[in-house]
Amino acid sequence: MTRMTRFVGGLALVAALSAPLAVAQAQTATSDRQIMQGLSAVVNDDPSLTAQVLRQMAQNAVDKNLPLTLDKSEIAKRLDKLAQITVQIQFALGSAIIRPESYGTLGAIADAMHHPILLNYRFIVVGNTDTTGTRAVNLKLSQQRADAIVRALVTVFDVSPDRLEAVGLGQEALQVPSKPQDPINRRVQIFTIGTVGAMPKPVPTNAP
Amino acid sequence: MFRFAFASAALLLSVMTGAASAQTMSYAEAGALIAKSCGPSIERFCAKDNLGSGDLYQCLQKRGNQVPDQCGADYQNALASIAKRVAAQRDAFRICEPSIREFCAGVQPGDARLLDCLLTASKVVAPTCKQVLLDAGWQ
Repeated sequence: MTRMTRFVGGLALVAALSAPLAVAQAQTATSDRQIMQGLSAVVNDDPSLTAQVLRQMAQNAVDKNLPLTLDKSEIAKRLDKLAQITVQIQFALGSAIIRPESYGTLGAIADAMHHPILLNYRFIVVGNTDTTGTRAVNLKLSQQRADAIVRALVTVFDVSPDRLEAVGLGQEALQVPSKPQDPINRRVQIFTIGTVGAMPKPVPTNAP
Repeated sequence: MFRFAFASAALLLSVMTGAASAQTMSYAEAGALIAKSCGPSIERFCAKDNLGSGDLYQCLQKRGNQVPDQCGADYQNALASIAKRVAAQRDAFRICEPSIREFCAGVQPGDARLLDCLLTASKVVAPTCKQVLLDAGWQ
């Protein structure tokens, strides 16, 4: 697609792309183009998977202190089916302050969300931690971090707040459950979850 | 000295004196520019302020004489470019509507089909439409 090729930017973006049902979850992407492709591959819409449902699943796992298994958690399995990208956003240690080195990555996400291909879609921004630290604290911190990303996308890069929801999943959706303390599990995922509304009708042909 | 007011006046001037044809930065470039010019100052003086909270800019201003001029100028440039691109993306449909009526009638809006049509017809679409697509970063 010629339009897509124009998106290859010089930005050294460490993004892991995973199209729905893709086997390679942690594939490294390096361009805006891959953000776009990851987010626009909406083939597995799951209307029952909302931000609220995700938060409840995570809170439930923390409250009951559910054991971590070597398999992916139920939350992670359901999320795997959605169009998504995984990006690394650098935060200050133990806080929700986004480090300046990641401002460009936030902009790249905004570039994709403002493109006509994605303009009619809504997204969930999910924050994840590894298992270092306390489970409940991880859940809270990841929510604060997801909130910070959404706030920056809305206030600095003018993405409509109606299109974004922030969810912190703490350590409840590990990328690599067999290595729960691996930093690879610390990541931000963005999922395409549905449309804003119906598109308008085509403009009519001018009458002769 | 961190001259926000000056930078802003200079920017306004450059917009007025025909920078209209200049392409806007991508949002990624704008974010990276702020990071490049202001990152060290932000980490040093404003480590508790988040991008998008509104406090970051104020914090840098307060530290005026300790923050490089380049940071003030580039921060302003980045914000101005973002604003211009936002406006272009908002106005693109309205500005391009005559061209859409002429060349893309019957095209179902969505999934960038109208944009594809306009870009395919770029040799004949109105110059104002081409400019707004350029400013929107959609060419």
